[in-house]
Amino acid sequence: MVVDTLIIGSGVAATALAQRLLDNDPKASILILEAGTPVKTKDFGLWENYLISGQLPYDRCKDLNYPQKDLPGENMSVGGTEIPLIGARVMTYGGSTIHWGGWAFRLKPEDFALGTAAEGTANWPMRYDDLEPYYTQAEHYIGVSGNSADTTVPRNGDYPFPAFPYALEDRLVAEALKALGYSYSALPIARHGVTDTTSKHAPCQTTGTCKYCPFGARYAATNFLNDMLAWNDYPNFAVRTGVVVEAIDVSAKTRASAVMYTVPASGEETRVEAERIIVAAGTIESAKLLQRSTSTAWPDGIGNDSDLVGRHFITHPYFMFTGRLPANQLRLQPEMNFPTLCSRHFDSEAEQAAGKFILVNPPDTVLPRILSSMQAGARREKIDALVSGPNAIQLHGMVEVFGRHANRVTNSGKRNRFGLRETVVDYTKDAGIDTRMAEIQSRVDEIFTTMGAQKSGKPTVSWRADHAASTCRMGLTEADSVVDKNLRVHGVENLYVCSNAVFPSLGAINPTLTLTALALRLGDHLIGASSAVEAP
Amino acid sequence: MYQDRAHHPLSAPGDTVAADVRETMWRLFEQIGKFWGNAADSRPFESRLYSFMANRVALNPLYTQYYATAKTVIDQLVAERGESAAYEYLFTDPSLNESPPVSPAALVRQLVSNEFIALQLALGGFLAFGATNYPGYFGGANVPGAPAPYRTMEDEHGG
Repeated sequence: MVVDTLIIGSGVAATALAQRLLDNDPKASILILEAGTPVKTKDFGLWENYLISGQLPYDRCKDLNYPQKDLPGENMSVGGTEIPLIGARVMTYGGSTIHWGGWAFRLKPEDFALGTAAEGTANWPMRYDDLEPYYTQAEHYIGVSGNSADTTVPRNGDYPFPAFPYALEDRLVAEALKALGYSYSALPIARHGVTDTTSKHAPCQTTGTCKYCPFGARYAATNFLNDMLAWNDYPNFAVRTGVVVEAIDVSAKTRASAVMYTVPASGEETRVEAERIIVAAGTIESAKLLQRSTSTAWPDGIGNDSDLVGRHFITHPYFMFTGRLPANQLRLQPEMNFPTLCSRHFDSEAEQAAGKFILVNPPDTVLPRILSSMQAGARREKIDALVSGPNAIQLHGMVEVFGRHANRVTNSGKRNRFGLRETVVDYTKDAGIDTRMAEIQSRVDEIFTTMGAQKSGKPTVSWRADHAASTCRMGLTEADSVVDKNLRVHGVENLYVCSNAVFPSLGAINPTLTLTALALRLGDHLIGASSAVEAP
Repeated sequence: MYQDRAHHPLSAPGDTVAADVRETMWRLFEQIGKFWGNAADSRPFESRLYSFMANRVALNPLYTQYYATAKTVIDQLVAERGESAAYEYLFTDPSLNESPPVSPAALVRQLVSNEFIALQLALGGFLAFGATNYPGYFGGANVPGAPAPYRTMEDEHGG
């Protein structure tokens, strides 16, 4: 089999890139290979099951826990800090946007120059202005609702849909932030809205079950791939699922010629030759694939002559602070499942060297638990008292951590349920992170106190690898990076990595919008179009 | 699970909920609104309840038996205690929530009644507790110029 463009992985990066190439040439020859299998989306029965039980139809597509004393599991954590993989990614057709929250932030201009601000870190080989037009295109592609007048990050184009108004649950925290002189803004979110922007995707109905949207209003690559395959006339576009790419063939040092994949269900092995190969398999699998693609020309794996593939692994510590309100006079309740207010006040140049962070007012700031109370048999009067009485409140957020050479992912000798090689995660947090969390706690305590709430204790911090990045980071030379600014693996003329793996740093925000922008930019690069594309 | 490639071994064509069972399930659903005083009129949700039950059966055919068992248990409780006390017992007795269910009544509480409570809240039962939107409720779109489909920060008294 021979194709022009072979993409490994079927998530948002693959989908956006394929769409860009097909927009340019509907007859383009593109094959996507995906290890996972499809999960039915927009199904009312599955949605109701989620509503009632909390079970998601793609739960089976997640990693298992690490092995424990009496429980078998998957993958290995060998560093000083455990980075959970369970729940962090979804190995399915369409990838992890099937479960994401849709938070669609842009990086800030200073994020592209972290290497100048913090010792031992890296700069991006591009400036914010280079990516800005693609941010606007990405916001239109995934359908972001946001405030176009927000000056938190410079922008030249409007969001396609207006921001969701701040929820009543935001009032207390907004008033506290204002009193303290801390800025806040509408959280940009990839849920379709209603404007004169043409869209074949249904608008968000604020149903609050975003992990399985019954309408497909929250961006999921699964739905976009389905549309590309079912509605459009792309005769040479195909997606093959349930296949595991074992290695990329680069027997000639400077050119990738093919990939070899297996079908775990049957053991069938296939070789696909391609004019160009795009590795878009996520931060973990992309690095592992390069590592295991060894040859005489690349004895340590493709692009790994400098021992950088898989290294500098980072993710966001996601923190959750809990305080206590003496009374819930507004009868605040979680009316939706997504937040509407965030503060990027501390996501600033001044905080960069210590670790920028953002604060998010979660959609369940106050959680009176009406359902569980009724199911437990509580009477109406008791539930009313529960709703208006003392209640726990929360503030969430993320803090930037820096890539370190010693932190890395590698292939295990075992295979998981999908036939993929399991992952060995070797990560140890910086000694300074605990001090940084204490500094963040003092800010949050200020906010809680101003809200009239009892101060928080120590936060719950999740190191789950949802925002894993940097394992194939981009840079100027082979000595300090794996890919160049066009995402091409140094030294290989037709092999690219399009994943969070290429980020030299993460900033303090979710990476998906930036990845989508990079995918669209890569599409233009491959087409040979000018990078100065007009905003839609 | 019908989203998988394999057909569920218990799935059989024509495996539906009997009419008299549906009627009892509807009465159970109505009683939730009466007991907690959060739905003056449940009738607009009758068709949603039936489609919900059909979807539960499609996902897991054992639900046909769960619903049939629920009718048997409810009929028996009503005969023994009278209607009001029967539902009060079913909704509030803590022993029926012990997991795993070891009696028919506990199974009905956990797999039928408690699920109906979740559905009833999502269909609009939540409104009685002061909010205007709720997870699972189709609140509506964010339409420029129209009121937001949830209580906003600008609402004077919090709705």
